[in-house]
Amino acid sequence: MLQKIYDWIDERADITPIWRDIADHEVPEHVNPAHHFSAFVYCFGGLTFFVVVIQILSGMFLTMYYVPDIENAWRSVYYLQTEVAHGQIVRGMHHWGASVVIVMLLLHTLRVFFQGAYKKPRELNWIVGVLLFFSILGLGFTGYLLPWDNKAYFATEVGLNIAEDVPIIGEDIKTLLAGDEEIVGAQTLARFFAIHVFFLPAVLFALLGVHFILIRRQGISGPL
Amino acid sequence: MHKGKGMKFVGDSRISAEQKPNIPKDYSEYPGRTEAFWPNFLLKEWLAGSVFLVGFLTLTLAHPAPLEGMADPTNSGYIPLPDWYFLFLYELLKYNFASGPYILFGIIIIPGLAFGGLLLAPFLDKGPGRRPHQRPVSVGMMLLALTSVIWLTYQSASGVNWEQRAEANKPVPPSEQADIDKDSEGYKVFENNCMSCHGEDLQGGAAAPPLTGIDRSKKEIKDIAKNGIGSMPPDQFSGSDKELDKLAEFIVSVNEDQ
Amino acid sequence: MSKDKQPVSRRQFLNYTLTGAGGFMAAGLLISPLRMAIDPVLQKEESQGDFTNVQLAEEDLTNEPQRVDWEVEQIDGWYESKVSKTAWVYKDDNGEIVALSPICKHLGCVVSWEGSDDYPNQFYCPCHDGRYYKDGENVPGTPPTAGLDIYEHKVENGMLYLGKAQLREEL
Repeated sequence: MLQKIYDWIDERADITPIWRDIADHEVPEHVNPAHHFSAFVYCFGGLTFFVVVIQILSGMFLTMYYVPDIENAWRSVYYLQTEVAHGQIVRGMHHWGASVVIVMLLLHTLRVFFQGAYKKPRELNWIVGVLLFFSILGLGFTGYLLPWDNKAYFATEVGLNIAEDVPIIGEDIKTLLAGDEEIVGAQTLARFFAIHVFFLPAVLFALLGVHFILIRRQGISGPL
Repeated sequence: MHKGKGMKFVGDSRISAEQKPNIPKDYSEYPGRTEAFWPNFLLKEWLAGSVFLVGFLTLTLAHPAPLEGMADPTNSGYIPLPDWYFLFLYELLKYNFASGPYILFGIIIIPGLAFGGLLLAPFLDKGPGRRPHQRPVSVGMMLLALTSVIWLTYQSASGVNWEQRAEANKPVPPSEQADIDKDSEGYKVFENNCMSCHGEDLQGGAAAPPLTGIDRSKKEIKDIAKNGIGSMPPDQFSGSDKELDKLAEFIVSVNEDQ
Repeated sequence: MSKDKQPVSRRQFLNYTLTGAGGFMAAGLLISPLRMAIDPVLQKEESQGDFTNVQLAEEDLTNEPQRVDWEVEQIDGWYESKVSKTAWVYKDDNGEIVALSPICKHLGCVVSWEGSDDYPNQFYCPCHDGRYYKDGENVPGTPPTAGLDIYEHKVENGMLYLGKAQLREEL
């Protein structure tokens, strides 16, 4: 039955070559932990992606309860965490995922660095990877404010004051992020929400796409 | 596969009428012990992923995500702390060479060099050798940067009393928040004597615990206001006995309403 | 039209036009959203604030900084609220009133007078051990880059009125 559905689609859309591109390739011995246990270091990239998927899923569901408004943001988070069945788990996944993704990302970056895997011809993918690193740090910074608790508020205040110290454009950067010259308030929360939920994920998806396409094109770097 | 003339298409589409069977290649003949990605290797990856997920879910179950009290911009006793992965930057700004007149070092030059170097690593480290000992400079710099980041994070984190922080900043449920009558005489006495430490909503601060959710009698409260308790020094209250009465009544009433 | 070699080939011309049309569409789509996003940066608000009676009589001021709290209306976009403000107020040796903002010039934490037992007669910031002398000037060698902001003040009918906090160099 499944085969019939597949053939029916394949006849009309010719999906076999696409499938071949994505899934049908060899995995060399030196990255396979079944042959060399030390090859587990190659898992960190995949695990980073796995946690990103967890973040996307849990984040999507969190917005069913969360409202980005300073009167209600904290209450909505408190409500979903204390009153909603499994709400604590979903928020926990998003909260701990944010930390775990940074750990995995760091390990993945270090693996690539110490193996010198960024050398020719993979320079471009390294740059895309570092940009991914930056966007995930940006997601961490903007997401930190959203629960609108004291920790969030004051950490953001500090972060914005650091931005303000940048010469010439510092004050404008701060105003652009906070939505007001002085107040970290309603407009800041709305902006951070937009950045966290729409702008940075869009950047993240685009960069992830390039990252994966380049990996498939170039293949994994050879053994040392 | 046909090329050019003689190609057959599905209907009037541009899809080739020639069906290619979707049979995975057999990689067993390749040099080295290679393996097909689908499904052999992916299965192993997903098994590892499952183990990871179990660990991850256990973490979320064992440690619920922390939530502090609702943001209060006027809470002057609050000591800000960024998330752990920004702690190293926060700590860096404590050093003399990265703050004060040298703040540009702290916020632009040092992070700029570090992250710029990371971004441009392939163009700074251009030699053909990939092994760490073949490129001592870049590996050395990375180790140095890594050590500094870990050291700064440790320095920053070790100076924080996490348990006390969590205790002092516990969230107050919304149902317990709105019951403070700020026009009452008792609140005025509170304002003059206790607010600087215990906060305008009795929520507490860095130096003092909240006065909500406590279970104490009027007499006990009067005694504490006069003689102190724990780290609270005596004689914090300065006023008449009548005011003391009103203060104690007010604090008891706030806690009764809950 | 002569039969000379054309300076721009047809294909080039089409490519330029395509770029132009694409640029027009991108600009048309993005001008308004971008202008909307940067609106707060271009909105300069008036720097003179109203003065508020902080419920403190001038004669109560001493040589020792004391903390005063008062409330002002704050408008944050669509959100209007009352926020409490704080100042450390004292009379200096010449009898002049000084009202200092408690916001640390390092990273915006809140300083307090003699906030640390180790540094008497100084303002102390608990975040990064920032310190300020009594006149609000930052102690050299500590993280703050400037002295504490100073509130505009006036005295009417013996009561103290405070306005906006201003940077030192603007005074």
